[in-house]
Amino acid sequence: MKRRTFIAGTLGLLASSALIGPALAQGKTITWWYESADPKQQGYIKSGIIEPFNAANPDFNLTIDYRGTELDKQMRVALLSGNGPDIVYTAGPTYVAPMARAGQLLALDDYVTRYGWNDRILPVFLEMGKYDGKLYALPKTYETLGLFYNKTLFEKHGWKAPTTIAELETLADAMLAEKIVPFASGNANWRPANEHYVSIALNSIAGPENVYKALKGELPWTAEPFVKAIDTLNSWWQKGYFGPNYFSLSDEQSFAQMASGQAGMMPSGTWQFQRVNTYFPPANAEVGFVGFPSAEGVSGPVYPLGVGSTFSVAATSKNADGAAAAIDYIFSDKVYGVMNSSWPGEWNTPLADLSKVQVDNGLPIYTEAMKTLAEAVGDNQYGYTTWTFLPPATNSYLVSGIEEVWLGRSTTAQFLEQLNATFLQEKADGKVPAIPAR
Amino acid sequence: MHRLYLVPTLLINVVIIFIPALLTVALAFFRWDGITTPVFVGLQNFQALWFDRVFWTALTNNLIWTGLFLTIPIFMGLLAATLLLVARRGSMFFQVIYFLPMIIATAILARVWQGMIFSPVSGVNGMLQRMGFPTIDPLTQPSTALLGIATVDLWHWWGFLCVIFFAALRQVPQEQIEFARLEGASFWQIMRHVLIPAIRPTITLMMIMTVIWSFLVFDFVYILTQGGPAFSSEVLSTLAYRSAFYDLAVGKAAAVAVVISLFGLVATAFYIRAQTREFQS
Repeated sequence: MKRRTFIAGTLGLLASSALIGPALAQGKTITWWYESADPKQQGYIKSGIIEPFNAANPDFNLTIDYRGTELDKQMRVALLSGNGPDIVYTAGPTYVAPMARAGQLLALDDYVTRYGWNDRILPVFLEMGKYDGKLYALPKTYETLGLFYNKTLFEKHGWKAPTTIAELETLADAMLAEKIVPFASGNANWRPANEHYVSIALNSIAGPENVYKALKGELPWTAEPFVKAIDTLNSWWQKGYFGPNYFSLSDEQSFAQMASGQAGMMPSGTWQFQRVNTYFPPANAEVGFVGFPSAEGVSGPVYPLGVGSTFSVAATSKNADGAAAAIDYIFSDKVYGVMNSSWPGEWNTPLADLSKVQVDNGLPIYTEAMKTLAEAVGDNQYGYTTWTFLPPATNSYLVSGIEEVWLGRSTTAQFLEQLNATFLQEKADGKVPAIPAR
Repeated sequence: MHRLYLVPTLLINVVIIFIPALLTVALAFFRWDGITTPVFVGLQNFQALWFDRVFWTALTNNLIWTGLFLTIPIFMGLLAATLLLVARRGSMFFQVIYFLPMIIATAILARVWQGMIFSPVSGVNGMLQRMGFPTIDPLTQPSTALLGIATVDLWHWWGFLCVIFFAALRQVPQEQIEFARLEGASFWQIMRHVLIPAIRPTITLMMIMTVIWSFLVFDFVYILTQGGPAFSSEVLSTLAYRSAFYDLAVGKAAAVAVVISLFGLVATAFYIRAQTREFQS
């Protein structure tokens, strides 16, 4: 062997052992693709989940890859080609059934027993993640819709948080008279924001029992309670409750308008809590949050249940145990406390018992709202958000179709008729997500 | 032997264009959610499109878009290129200025227009409103949304045409222009009888490409309105995208893609015919 060859070979061996060594020491890799998160939020995930999990599980090495807002499309293509990460992060229960049917997801029933998820996770969510009797997904976070309001502005005008639809309308009219936008709202950055208002109307006006029947196919979406709900929602739009710039504003801009007092209330989801500390203290204002008022005959407030993302394990995963261990870690009291303290509204994992959880985010109102929601879910007294329980094409039509009603390009009857037709087609195709019994 | 030189390009074309195109055409005859096994449904996707009013809105919007882009930027590009030809001083500077929007990423341009021009909060529009002018954000009205998006794309596009036309005009023999001037021809007469006929092949090519590109338009529409409000700015490509990735109806999306390709195919046929004539003459 020539001396030059010997030296090159030795250096090569040293280099490869230097590269491979730490990788082996780090344990078996678990890959996790996540949606978009800003650098600060990525820091929370790193210090709150990744690092402590890897420290507690030296056999595994959990890695995260931020894929942006189009994650669900990338994930579908990757899984279709037999690739993709170990932890499958879907855009909601709607996608779980077809993925499970296509054999892309691993049944998690063994892990339910191993990790005691039946006792630790609210039963409703275990039902929602099932397909053909087997569990395939767990929700990363669950959320609800309610009414945020500017408490300081309310006190200044002597207003009280509304508890009925009639009170809400009287209050909104008073705001309009004061040139205050009643509903801080906008869909410029996220067009599906429209469905937040439809979900609110369907649950608070038509009532969750009727929505449940419609989802089960026992009541058509063209039934009278839904006509009343959409008509009421449309009347709010026509009266100007949503303000003149709905299609121009992002939800963050509209939240800022509520904090500054240009708008009075914001019908929106609990994910907005993450913006409170950014906008309310600088405006010297205090935020309030209540359940959305209900119409006569609907006991309320109704808390519509929403799941915007779920965790599964890929069927092709070479490290399924590691992926399940990471998911289990995310569903721990510790992670709930840490993540909800730093990033409230985005990590409300469905734990059955929150009494031992320590959350310190300076937002007791958030903790209270989540507790109320957990109780409502535990008592089976919850409503249904459209993005969680409607099949994809029905939901997609709903988002654009309600704009047609608002802008006078179709009537409530036409809207509901097409919604119903699309729903029936998708129901026949088996695309309606699992609906837990009430 | 020299034909072997064609193999690499042909191979690339077959792999990244021909096979996906064939698969797309095949998928148009299947019902598929993009996840489970496709089911053959014959012409059902095309029938569904025929009765889908959103499809007709999208097709009409594509035709309006094509009409706008076949006239406004071509007229502006020709006019500016001719002016650059007549007044040579500073022509390089203006070419750079006109061409600048073309080199900025469309996503950035769209966000700049949305936030700094159209927005009633942070844009020029909002400033005008606060000054008392009754302006609106065009992206928020069904009657103006498509025109609002087209304005952004026209601003980005016309400078490119101007530079192309200017390059073509520079090839026109100077004597012809001088002679026309000596004969007393006005600016418009020179343009009508000398310059435009001289660069007709370039104009024809650009018009054909405009038709093809108009049916492929996606980026500005998707970023600025996602086809809204109320489907008013929906175009075929956004309809296909929404069908495939939101409705999980990949077969329907493929059927829309086939319709888009048909228009491109007609335009391409015209292009090839025009080229053949040019070669023959």
